Amino acid sequence: MRRIDRRLLLQLDWLLFGLTGLLVAIGLVTVWSLVPRLGVRQGVWVGVGGLAAVVILSIDYHTLARWSYAAYGAGLMALLAVLALGRSAQGARRWLSLGPVTLQPSEIFKLALVGALAQYLASRVGERPGWDRTLVPLALATPALVLVVKQPDLGTGLVLVPVVLALIFAGGARWKDLGLLAGLALIALPPLWLLLHDYQRERLLVYVDPSRDPLGSAWNVIQAKITIGSGQLWGKGLFGGTQTRLAFLPERHTDFVFAAFAESWGFAGALGLLVLYGLVTLRGLEVAASARDSLGSLLAIGATVLLASQALVNLGMVTGLLPVVGIPLPLLSYGGSALLTALGAVAVIANVRMRRFA
Amino acid sequence: MVRRRPKPADPHRRIVGILAVLGLGFLAIAGQLLNLQVLEGERHAQLSDKNRLRVRPVAAPRGILFDRAGLPLVDNRPAFILVVVPRDAPNLGAELERLAGILRLPVTDLRERVGRVPPDSPWPVRLARGLSLDEVARIEEWKLDLPGVTIEVEPQRAYPTAHSAAHVLGYVREASESDLERSPNRLRRGDLVGQSGLERLHDDLLRGRDGAEQTEIDAYGRPVRTLHRQEPVPGAHVYTTLDRRIQYAAEEALGDRPGAIVVLDPTNGDVLALVSHPAFPVERFSGPLDKATWLALVEDPTRPLLNRAVQGVYPPGSPFKVVVATAALQAQVITPFDRLPCPQTWTLGGRVYHNWEDRDRGPLTLHEALKWSCNTFFYQLALRVGPERISRTARAFGLGRVTGSGLAGEVGGLVPTPQWKRRTQRDRWHPGDTVSLGIGQGLLTTTPLQIARMMAAVANGGTLWKPRLVERVESSDGQLLQREPEVAQGHLDVAPVVFDFLHSALVAAVEEGSGKAARVPGVAIAGKTGTAQTHDFRDEADRKRRDRDHAWFAGFAPAENPRYVVVVLAERAGFGGQVAAPIAREVFKAIFLEKVASAGRPS
Repeated sequence: MRRIDRRLLLQLDWLLFGLTGLLVAIGLVTVWSLVPRLGVRQGVWVGVGGLAAVVILSIDYHTLARWSYAAYGAGLMALLAVLALGRSAQGARRWLSLGPVTLQPSEIFKLALVGALAQYLASRVGERPGWDRTLVPLALATPALVLVVKQPDLGTGLVLVPVVLALIFAGGARWKDLGLLAGLALIALPPLWLLLHDYQRERLLVYVDPSRDPLGSAWNVIQAKITIGSGQLWGKGLFGGTQTRLAFLPERHTDFVFAAFAESWGFAGALGLLVLYGLVTLRGLEVAASARDSLGSLLAIGATVLLASQALVNLGMVTGLLPVVGIPLPLLSYGGSALLTALGAVAVIANVRMRRFA
Repeated sequence: MVRRRPKPADPHRRIVGILAVLGLGFLAIAGQLLNLQVLEGERHAQLSDKNRLRVRPVAAPRGILFDRAGLPLVDNRPAFILVVVPRDAPNLGAELERLAGILRLPVTDLRERVGRVPPDSPWPVRLARGLSLDEVARIEEWKLDLPGVTIEVEPQRAYPTAHSAAHVLGYVREASESDLERSPNRLRRGDLVGQSGLERLHDDLLRGRDGAEQTEIDAYGRPVRTLHRQEPVPGAHVYTTLDRRIQYAAEEALGDRPGAIVVLDPTNGDVLALVSHPAFPVERFSGPLDKATWLALVEDPTRPLLNRAVQGVYPPGSPFKVVVATAALQAQVITPFDRLPCPQTWTLGGRVYHNWEDRDRGPLTLHEALKWSCNTFFYQLALRVGPERISRTARAFGLGRVTGSGLAGEVGGLVPTPQWKRRTQRDRWHPGDTVSLGIGQGLLTTTPLQIARMMAAVANGGTLWKPRLVERVESSDGQLLQREPEVAQGHLDVAPVVFDFLHSALVAAVEEGSGKAARVPGVAIAGKTGTAQTHDFRDEADRKRRDRDHAWFAGFAPAENPRYVVVVLAERAGFGGQVAAPIAREVFKAIFLEKVASAGRPS
């Protein structure tokens, strides 16, 4: 590893770090207020994630991108390993035990996918755009999507789709090809439906028709909506609502952490949080637009869309706009692997910005 | 320096496009928040404050444990449980006092249960299980004074007969704090969790998934209307390899003696019966169990919670002579035609070693020595073979390590070697150690299951099967979830003639020798009795006190085509030939003569 150039340190993205730090702090306080023990554990993960971010920052993103094919291959292997011998929790095999910690390869793997796609697309820049701009990225991403959904982790599969699409779009795909892709997607939906697990199908059906599962996910959503709504304009304060309302709310420190936050801090707080995510997105895309080269630009786009689409899918699910697919709110929800990935994505954006003049 | 790459033609416009799409998403969320929190905020706040909706879990029936013929070993019956929702009980303290009075339970127990959840928790807390009809009637009488208290019906473990196979099946208990800590997502307070045996080994599959019922409650916290109900998913059924008939017969045969019985199928390692006595009262665990009963069980000097078949370690005594004989024949330090004397006493280094009978049988062949279980013969033989070869053969027979049955707390026992003794005891290996080892005594310890597996290897010609307790697991609607394969863990590198020799010697031991009491007319039984001292005797008087020796029988039948291995251990019961062999005979009789011990001993 090369030593970091002094001048690079001057280019650290303090705005992005500030926004990220604020979100992480909000997450820590919220998780701690719900389950103090887990709040402390999340604090440890923040430390680990911070270290990982420093490592990512210190390596030039061109080097990182060159590694990403290998990382992607290793990630596919890890996903296969999870399918074969992973620890199953609540019927899903997502965790791989590594001594005292268990890792969710599908989480960390997202960054490798972004890197691999960006690396490929950047290598084609300057050539005449053709079919390859659309097909190759799709071919690269498909095994990952299939494995993740088979795991079964529908949520992660869902948030990978916008990331892949955004990269194809920004990588210079022709409009004609994008149109064809949309057409093909429509045709491909029925067979994909067959690939899903029964309960995944059920979840999607419940979204269309909530009465199918009044006590499962629909119940969660009803309770989440009441919880969020009861916060009204100014909220009930940090401990104001936790015990009464939140006892009804499942997964309140993980996927539904936003509901707890919105109950405590009301519309004002929830909107503020939304603005924070919006600013992170804006900053990420600004970094993409001002990047030194297209590799940097694509990496920043991938990382930003990864963060933003996860946030949007989670918020949509908790507020009842989208089906309950079980993905965490990046930087806020309790969970080590997810936090690690989110901080990694932030570090990728900062990495690109830091080296925009070098 | 990395090469600069030109950017795509219109990258900025496309980035703006992505921003626009994401921006729409943010706007949609903001709009929904406005709707939920501001426009409908008041309505939601009301719903939240006066929440008259309650969700209570509907317990999933635990999976049934079947024997190999599909007969239930344990299933479920409905039982009354007492439940309180703290949030709906305005003066909980007084209500608990009243309930304690009705149920004759210490009020501190009830307080402890409620104390573990927040005082306004909307989730039901189970106060007591297994209420009698009388108790239910009296609680109903006080109904109006007990807001928030309800009586519900939940499935509870039930044993179809008086036999419980307690140690192998295990028991269930309400999840402890450490259970809850370990799997916060899967377990809720008050859930039943398998704590030992198969109930623990396959707990995840047996437990199923609870359903839920959404109800509207009145001012007394009583459900007035069920709005929705999600049916529970019953737990999966576990088809064990146990044979209920043999299991029960073995329990009967052992009777009140402390000890263990293991019956194995030597052709594949299936465990057909596994008994340990004294057993714990399995039914007491599923019902209300007070602290005093629990402590009494834990502190009982006869250790009823110990599964002697896999957790008890005992010197194997004479059944171990099979190992010594195998090692001797394999090393060719003796042939079936050589003779060694079998005196009453035998002296080594000034120390006198005794045979178990007070007579000199003259020079014996190995066959005769096994038949008469002559100790003095085996002292000499062991010295010829040497400790290394004996311990190597013992390990090849699977002694000295856990069998992998999967039962919690299984121990491996110990096969001593000179190196081991030097390392851990800082002591030289003496010839006397070899002499003790030669008759399965001294530092050597084994579990009854290990001895059964060893005998199975003798019976089947040298294959060491992993003891298999479960054949398959099926979901409640009959789908196969898991099939456990038969696993051969090793094969003894021993000539087939050695096993032929052992078979005939062990048949002779039962037909004419020390194991006569195990004979069943019409069945060729091969076997070896054993009388194992807990430690070396010090003087003549101590030697005579046989009542503190462990009695063993280890054998198989039919000798010509072995299908059943039976191992009996009776703790501190006396001579193997007098105590253990008759117990084994009862088990063999049940197996072969279909003379089933009554399936439902009146309790």
